Amino acid sequence: MPKKDHYVIIGNGPAGNKAADVLRENDRNARITILSDEHFSFYYRHKLCDFMSGVIDEDTLKVKFYKEYKEKNIRLRLGQRVEKIDPDSKTLFLKHMEKLRYTKLILAVGSAPRVLPSLLRYKDYFTFMSNYNDAANVKSMLENIKNPIVIGGDLIGINFIKMLSRLKKKATFFMYYKSFWPFDLDIKKADAIRLSLEKNNIKTISGDPVKTISRRDADYIIETESGREIEGDALFSFMGRIPNIQFIKGSGIDTERGILVNEYLQANYKDIYACGDCAQIYNLELKDYWISIGWENSILQGEVAAYNLLGEHRIIKPMSKKIFNVEGIKVKTSWWNQLKT
Amino acid sequence: MARKIDLVIEICGSAGEGTISAGEILSRFMSSQGFEIMSFDTYPSEIRGFGKCVAHSRISNQKIFSPGKNADVLVALNDVHSISQLPFLKETGILIFDNKPLRYHEEDKSIAGWVEPGIISYGIPLHELAQRAAGSSRGRNMVALGAIASLFGINAKAFEESIIKRYSKKSRIVIDSNVNSFIEGYKWAKENITKINGISFESPGIKPSRKKREIINGNEAVARAAIDSGIHLFAGYPITPATKIMEILSKELPGRGGVVIQTEDEISAIGNVIGAGFAGKRAMTATSGPGFSLMTELGNLAIMAEVPAVIVNSQRGGPSTGLPTKTEQSDLNIAVKGGSGDSYRIVLAPTTVEECYECTCLALYLAEKYQTLVVLLLDFFLSNSIRNIDSPKKPAIKLLDANKAPGNRDLKSYKRYKITGTGISPRAIPGTPGGMFVSTGLEHSEEGLPRYDSETHEKMTEKRYMKIQKALKEIPKPKRSGCKKNIKVGVLAWGSTAGSAREAVAEAEKCGIRAAFMSPLSLSPLPVDEITEFANECEILLVPELNSSGQFADLIAPYVYKKIEKLNMVTGLPMPSEDILSKIKEIAE
Ligand SMILES: Cc1cc2nc3c(=O)[nH]c(=O)nc-3n(C[C@H](O)[C@H](O)[C@H](O)COP(=O)(O)OP(=O)(O)OC[C@H]3O[C@@H](n4cnc5c(N)ncnc54)[C@H](O)[C@@H]3O)c2cc1C
Repeated sequence: MPKKDHYVIIGNGPAGNKAADVLRENDRNARITILSDEHFSFYYRHKLCDFMSGVIDEDTLKVKFYKEYKEKNIRLRLGQRVEKIDPDSKTLFLKHMEKLRYTKLILAVGSAPRVLPSLLRYKDYFTFMSNYNDAANVKSMLENIKNPIVIGGDLIGINFIKMLSRLKKKATFFMYYKSFWPFDLDIKKADAIRLSLEKNNIKTISGDPVKTISRRDADYIIETESGREIEGDALFSFMGRIPNIQFIKGSGIDTERGILVNEYLQANYKDIYACGDCAQIYNLELKDYWISIGWENSILQGEVAAYNLLGEHRIIKPMSKKIFNVEGIKVKTSWWNQLKT
Repeated sequence: MARKIDLVIEICGSAGEGTISAGEILSRFMSSQGFEIMSFDTYPSEIRGFGKCVAHSRISNQKIFSPGKNADVLVALNDVHSISQLPFLKETGILIFDNKPLRYHEEDKSIAGWVEPGIISYGIPLHELAQRAAGSSRGRNMVALGAIASLFGINAKAFEESIIKRYSKKSRIVIDSNVNSFIEGYKWAKENITKINGISFESPGIKPSRKKREIINGNEAVARAAIDSGIHLFAGYPITPATKIMEILSKELPGRGGVVIQTEDEISAIGNVIGAGFAGKRAMTATSGPGFSLMTELGNLAIMAEVPAVIVNSQRGGPSTGLPTKTEQSDLNIAVKGGSGDSYRIVLAPTTVEECYECTCLALYLAEKYQTLVVLLLDFFLSNSIRNIDSPKKPAIKLLDANKAPGNRDLKSYKRYKITGTGISPRAIPGTPGGMFVSTGLEHSEEGLPRYDSETHEKMTEKRYMKIQKALKEIPKPKRSGCKKNIKVGVLAWGSTAGSAREAVAEAEKCGIRAAFMSPLSLSPLPVDEITEFANECEILLVPELNSSGQFADLIAPYVYKKIEKLNMVTGLPMPSEDILSKIKEIAE
């Protein structure tokens, strides 16, 4: 009897979960394992702000409960980080010193907060809000925060600062409109957003970037290029997201900004696929690679990766551009979706 | 009111990894901090080798009566052994494991590979930290204790001091390496682990206990009681789980004018005890199933010749050599009925460590006063489970000298087996002037001379029966708790299962079930009146016990006039109160 396939998916986000479901629906017998370095089950990242501010509880945050994995005979392994991949021996090396063998692998490792190169030296000062742990951490800080500073160049940051303002925090927002993410902003649009935020009592500084950051006791002091000084008791950074591929480098799997995959989402090893925020996908028309970060994109890619792993040849196409509303401004993006909270 | 804290911590490792000592240090320390503790260890039957050991500790700020079924925290010092312990970890429990072992594990040998998603696992580099602290990985157990202290809000400074105290008789190097390993574990967990689960021992209501509490297990309590009751001789042949009693007495008795003899087998051991008893000295033996079987015939001699003898039988899984390191309650039949002829004897079954002490004192007293065999039924769990208790009260003077010696009038024409109103005959100690008598295992006349006529046998059988029944007055009455009337489910439990039953009944009441609990100390003679009364008050009677046939249920059946619901287990582990509660709920529906 041939040995059972062991499909391993690294990442318990929308891409990984969709892939696992498709694999199970089409292969009743294979072993399927999802690995995630997070302890918390599959959850809606875009609802983290509501969770932090107490609008929703933990259960509402969850997309899937453990029992659903059990029912589908999908082994979910939480809190376990893959540190190294050896594609030749098809072995994953986990941080807790375990070797896990796979027959086919899907990388759905998502993305992490980006830090502007000019601010990299201040990285340790920043509090990020990217996953459940971060949210739980911020939730516990919120009570004591009075005048937070948010350095922001993305949509997540805008949602975050609005949540702070709803909680009556005296927040300052540094808007980096030139490197805004996931779409470009020109000065006109940036101004419109600033006005809208200020209506919500959010002090918004646009076009005057941070020069230095220093500490005074527990506080953060920001000096801007124009010489302004802003003081805050907490410092957050939201500058978009970059694929989470640090641990893949050196494994032999081709990477650039993300994991390089062809139009079938297949990496340079035939049994390895990548999907979701971490994938950098070849576009036949553009004859170039593209990264798309966003919830629904990830689901679509997870599905395609799984079908192709099972032997189909589905081609992934970039999602069509959608228009949506940011603080009254219409913006266009093919990645991001305005998701219901 | 202090927040309720009630947690079970299990440490699992290989023999020789310091698993049991880590559990013991934790329990002792938590006791000193004012907590109630109940802990016990399981370890391999084989003396050599690297078998699985588990130190199980329940720590609570409430009164506890059972060890608790599933662990809130499992510390895996060894992945392979701990994998088989994972099913006993609660679905939302915490796993602490070594995430930097010496080499990579394959998937099936790595505990992390088996963890279900609801469990929170904290990987800690136990080997690495122990190496760093002491240059060897032996201190992994202490690193784990340090991590426990950090994760669950335990006072590290006080804990450190207790480790120093524990190793105070060892060399400086040993003390330092243990303490340093503890500190490394504590610091590492503080700096590297973001706590997810709210489990904590922190509670403003809890204060370190000022009253010195004894931390002892059942075997230690028995040995202590034997000394306090003035035994002169202990004879025994080593056998798990009773050996510890002999070990303690062999250290303690000689210095107090007593004797400990390790005999060639169990028959010889009981022979020695009967010899000492005959000579008027308090004596005792301790054994387990296989040894107890060997003692049955000489036990009959003690009954027939009316010689005081006490046998402690710490039950383990049987029959035969069975399961040496597992607990069971399956020697009830042989203890109560395991003799040829109508061999009436006294059988006491303590339910707690405190009662192990009290019952040993009582057993030695009753054996002497009623001139017969008294069996004390412990089990592996009770023998080994450690409790923190208030110092036991020394036996009353009355209990220390119970022999009814013949008076001058008796000695004029001395009848060793004189029929009296109580069944107790004045007993002359050999050497008493005028007190010469013949003693035999044959049926005998009042003088002790062999007699085979039916009249003598009837009278003497009645005498031996009667005195045992009279002894019942001197044994504490069955304990009761729970509802007093309109009882839906009554739980009647004995020995070490009683604690779990008592907790289960309390929980059942919280769930709105009218439940009650009763547990007799004396299995022979049976407190029939109380048992019948209790059974009559209950709509349904449940008897949980650790044997497969329901030995106690069958013993009381003639007195309860109703069908008995049985809950039997032979898992080798103490009966969990959770399982009794489920059964109560099931039958109450
Ligand atoms: C606060 C916030 C708000 C958002 N709001 C929106 C929105 O409104 N609209 C929208 O379209 N998108 C939104 N997004 C983006 C969206 O959530 C992501 O695009 C989507 O989650 C990506 O899915 P994924 O499956 O590719 O990866 P992820 O959901 O990021 O999951 C990847 C998982 O892999 C794990 N992982 C990474 N490396 C390893 C490793 N080595 N070993 C083990 N596990 C590993 C990660 O910890 C993570 O849990 C938001 C994101 C955030 C953080």
